[in-house]
Amino acid sequence: MNFPGTEIDGPIVAVRAVHFTATAVTAGALMFRAVVAGPALRSACKVSAELDARIRAIAWIGLAVSVVSGMIWLVLEASAMGGQPWDEAVVSGTLLAVLGGTQFGSITEIRGALAALVAIGLAFDNWRMPRWLALGAAVCLISSIAWTGHAGSTPDELGNLHLAADVLHLCGAAAWTGGLVSLALLLRVVRSYRATAGISLMQLDAVRRFSSLGMASVAILIMSGLVNSWILVGSWRGLMTTDYGWILMFKVAIVAIMIMFATVNRLLLVPRLVLPAHDSALGGLMRNTVAEIALAFLVFAVVGLLGTMHPAAHLVN
Amino acid sequence: MQRSSLIGLASFMLLLATSPAGAHAFLERADPRVGNKVAAPPRVVTLWFTQKLEPAFSNVTVTNGTGERVDTGKAHVSGNQMSISLRPGGSGTYHVNWHVLSVDTHTTDGNFTFQVGQ
Repeated sequence: MNFPGTEIDGPIVAVRAVHFTATAVTAGALMFRAVVAGPALRSACKVSAELDARIRAIAWIGLAVSVVSGMIWLVLEASAMGGQPWDEAVVSGTLLAVLGGTQFGSITEIRGALAALVAIGLAFDNWRMPRWLALGAAVCLISSIAWTGHAGSTPDELGNLHLAADVLHLCGAAAWTGGLVSLALLLRVVRSYRATAGISLMQLDAVRRFSSLGMASVAILIMSGLVNSWILVGSWRGLMTTDYGWILMFKVAIVAIMIMFATVNRLLLVPRLVLPAHDSALGGLMRNTVAEIALAFLVFAVVGLLGTMHPAAHLVN
Repeated sequence: MQRSSLIGLASFMLLLATSPAGAHAFLERADPRVGNKVAAPPRVVTLWFTQKLEPAFSNVTVTNGTGERVDTGKAHVSGNQMSISLRPGGSGTYHVNWHVLSVDTHTTDGNFTFQVGQ
């Protein structure tokens, strides 16, 4: 089903965007719990337990949306590959042919198993091993998206480089986006425990840890993004004269605004959290975090579109 | 939702709605080469694409100068390469029609000709 007058398959673009966002939020929330919330709030059991429950809820919601959107994505792809309406693709055997006879189908099966592992890990979350299982499976779940897109179809040795860059790009995006959602939860939970002794220092520690995670994510996103752009765009001409190039620049512009927000947080607002009266800084941090989350979701919508388009390098060469 | 937000959302949807999308695997080269002339009928036609292909959803047919199918029916696909064996088909203009699904799930099709004979 295309937008009138275009070749854009609107439902596939939309379902990809939802799937990428939900999977990234799940993986990123579990990364945040492991490297930010867990260490920073170790000595505040009550706060830590409440935040943990909320992060787990976000991970469950993200996983459920990821599974449902993944199934819809599979049916829509089978419909597109078979040139049939979706219901016909399901009953005529095209869906099974896609599952058994294409890379997209095989990766979808593997990703279904990974989603089940995340669910098992989350269901038995009180033990240490299942927590690591959920985290590891969630990281694999977001990484494996690389095999469903352009990176998975780039031939020869360049294909391996493209896959590696795409895996890093997806993990970096998940850590940042899912981390932002979890950071918003943390700021909200801590606010309701502001009378607890030492909570301000713990909050500061958590924000600083997330800031470091964010900087590492941005560095990974920039490096892997440059590799991906080199492969998929290849030249200034490709960037400037194709729709793919322009939409990529739109995406980069949104990410640049996100980095600007993160820089303001890091340099202006976080240092003010050590002051006794830091409510305005905390309010600013919360507002910027929500704005960054909205922009991150917009980036995933653009990514949902870019993956369905002709890479610029193929159009200008 | 504020008016400025609505304008921003509408602009973004317009951006989405005016961008082409679709097929991905372009024909990179072929043997016999596109539009080329060869002295004798080839035993195999091979096509190379810009992306890896899905064997289950990719195929090619070849007809000779009289419009008769001269391919053996089943294409062999490996990575970004697809080849098909031919039966002897005499001289004339051979038409190659291909339809492929790239691994990144996009279909594309096309055709080209080559000449056989002096």
